[in-house]
Amino acid sequence: MENTAVITATKLNKRYGALEVVRGIDFTVPAGQCFGLLGPNGAGKSTTMRMIMGLSQITAGELTVFGEPANNMPRNIKAKIGLVPQDNNLDPDISVLENLKAFGRYFALPSTVIDARAKELLEFMQLTERKFAPVNALSGGMQRRLTIARALIGDPEMVILDEPTTGLDPQARVLIWKQLTELKKDGRTLLLTTHYMDEAQRLCDQIVIIDNGEILDQGTPKELISRHVKGFVFEVQKPGLAASAAERWDQEDIGDSVLYFVNDTAEFIADLPEESIYLHRPANLEDVFLRLTGRKLREN
Amino acid sequence: MRMPESAYVLAVYHRQFVVFKKLIGSSLVSNVANPILFLFAFGFGMGSFIDTMSGMSYLTFVVAGMIAYSAAFAASFETTIGSFTRYFMQKNWDAVLSTPVTLFELLLGEVFWASAKALFSAVCVLIVGWIWGGVPLSFLPLVTLPIVFLGSICFACAGLVATAYAKGYEFFAYFFTFWVTPMFVFCGVFFDISRFPEIIQYLAWFFPMTHLVAAIRPLTAVTPLDGAAIALHICYIIVFSAASFWIAYRRLHQRLYD
Repeated sequence: MENTAVITATKLNKRYGALEVVRGIDFTVPAGQCFGLLGPNGAGKSTTMRMIMGLSQITAGELTVFGEPANNMPRNIKAKIGLVPQDNNLDPDISVLENLKAFGRYFALPSTVIDARAKELLEFMQLTERKFAPVNALSGGMQRRLTIARALIGDPEMVILDEPTTGLDPQARVLIWKQLTELKKDGRTLLLTTHYMDEAQRLCDQIVIIDNGEILDQGTPKELISRHVKGFVFEVQKPGLAASAAERWDQEDIGDSVLYFVNDTAEFIADLPEESIYLHRPANLEDVFLRLTGRKLREN
Repeated sequence: MRMPESAYVLAVYHRQFVVFKKLIGSSLVSNVANPILFLFAFGFGMGSFIDTMSGMSYLTFVVAGMIAYSAAFAASFETTIGSFTRYFMQKNWDAVLSTPVTLFELLLGEVFWASAKALFSAVCVLIVGWIWGGVPLSFLPLVTLPIVFLGSICFACAGLVATAYAKGYEFFAYFFTFWVTPMFVFCGVFFDISRFPEIIQYLAWFFPMTHLVAAIRPLTAVTPLDGAAIALHICYIIVFSAASFWIAYRRLHQRLYD
């Protein structure tokens, strides 16, 4: 995979009046990778996505998409991007197939190309049997698949996915993950936001975690895990906590129990009293996320 | 802003056409039945009290008005209730704007579609009026169609202004009460506006409807033409269209982009 940058943000800033929602962030999305933009509600993810799509003007800093300023994107650059928005916004007045065809026309594709791609994409997203159905007759998972198919009609080099599997059942999520992995194999760049850390860990090559408009950390899922939560997590119920002084273990008090982040499990278990009740599992991205962004509830 | 290109405008237009094709039956019925009802009621009902109006039979007089009004209503409805639904309720415009289509092209597509639909209504009235005997057999009445199309563009643009400022469907109650209804009653559809007090007449000439009716009536009635007057009416309609399109575009740009 070539290592050219598809998106480059430099000191990117967005302000609505006095409210600063993106505070000078820097990141680079390399071509052909799946790049995850993670953060709690209100972190600045959607605003960043809107700026990348050219729907929101940047206040300061720089943002280039395929080497062109996002503020004033030429049409041929816009045509290289497929967007899967958070709400499906499919066209309810027309059928599944017509939704794809209408989108093909918005990309000014010749009708022979539209017909061929629509057929392929219906296959790809397993919607062929429902192609004449009205959109409202589809299940949530099918609507999501159609929204992804629709984003692919222009054969985009980059696909932006805003929470692609929120609200879907496990079967639907697995199918979408499989197809997103296929898209990556084709060499497409994916930019993904999600609240599911297992999804991010599974799909993303690079992750940026943002909160309050600032980048908290970035790296591969593996790097983030080893940097912030080591290899394993022990959730130990109070009062049977580790015997050694608090400084020995990297820990976080979460109320009824304490989380310990450790590299050497045997060493840690030896430090626990006999009667301790604990859960033990490999550390994951969710631990990183909660450690970095805190456990306080975010309201919209 | 990128230069608008016809392929993208047509893409927006085409989507509307696909929906329209599904509803062609009901659309034809209402577009044909409505003028029949109106022409019957006014042409015969009112017409039996009125010998002539502006030197023509009342039926002939009212056909021109009905052509303009049906176009005005169809275009206004499409770019208010129709456009607002796509923009605000269905979020269809958000989807379109994520593609290479620009807002300018999207709005042009909406306006041209609304105008095409309005022209379809007007043609139905013209045909019904002709069969009914209110339109003389001549090629002149056909000349009204491009003028009606221009007028429809104007009504579509004005509707788009309402959509640009609407926060909900309630807003369109004002639009229909203070814009569409006056066009129906004060702009020469059913009677000559010279009957009104002078101040009302001035007000009436603000509405593009008055200009459209005045421009097409001599053509559908096949009475002597004043070319300069018609040209002036058309100019007013074009200026009004451009101004309202620009206002709608500015406001919608603010609302859709941040």
